[in-house]
Amino acid sequence: MAEFDAELDARGLNCPLPILRAKKSINELSSGQVLKIVATDPGAVKDFEAFCKQTGNELVSSKEQGSEFVFMIRKQ
Amino acid sequence: MSKRLSAGQRRAAILQAAKALFAENGLHGVSVDAIAERLNVSPATLYKHFASKEALYEAVINATACNRESYVDAVLRGPSDFASVLRRIARTFVDSVAADPDFLRMEMHAVLEGNPFAGRFFENRWKHFADYIEMGIRELAPLGQAATVDVPSATLLFQGMLREALYAKCVYQSEQYRDIPLHRLVDRCIDLFLRAIGYRERRLEGAA
Repeated sequence: MAEFDAELDARGLNCPLPILRAKKSINELSSGQVLKIVATDPGAVKDFEAFCKQTGNELVSSKEQGSEFVFMIRKQ
Repeated sequence: MSKRLSAGQRRAAILQAAKALFAENGLHGVSVDAIAERLNVSPATLYKHFASKEALYEAVINATACNRESYVDAVLRGPSDFASVLRRIARTFVDSVAADPDFLRMEMHAVLEGNPFAGRFFENRWKHFADYIEMGIRELAPLGQAATVDVPSATLLFQGMLREALYAKCVYQSEQYRDIPLHRLVDRCIDLFLRAIGYRERRLEGAA
């Protein structure tokens, strides 16, 4: 069973695009569902922490895998 | 810097003084002796913190890179249509640059000196706009919300206007634009840019 309900490929994108895409993707989810985001911009780590803090969504995990960053965000 | 400072305070004071001098004269126009003189310390004190003038220059650049503009709030605090987000991220950027215009001067010197390290940094600082505009136009044009324009030229047009507005207000202190607040000048430039790319507003979603 997948640990997420939707996936966003933000590889190669710089801020503000990953945040903008995440905002749109999360709007399409229901409360409790999880969005997986894969990004390559190192600034995304701080950006998604701030994103979750400001939106109230839960940052379930934030991992670095090689040159990529993987975030799991649960919609509040 | 005659009083006793902690290592962290001394390092911060060195970075601040060096930044002001690099902004005035560029990397090649500043000596370690001049930085030491500005701080009223010996060159040996500087070398305790930075191995060379070049290392100090990179540290000045890196200190700003660590404090790069965050566009998260700009994205979240209003509608998500292309023009609204562009206006908000532009305001975030110009506020940040206006608060520390030394970096505009360092950017000018870096271009003239052909410094690759600084060149990459300053290019990346503008890349957020380049990527956002490129992606925006490519997505909007097929929907009829933007004209079919040459994307690299459109990106250049935007950056050129924004950069020139910042120079006029923060570096040249131009008489011609003295009575126009920076935000209004930037908004007018963005209006022109949106017209140039044939932007047609169609809000698909409301405020966040």
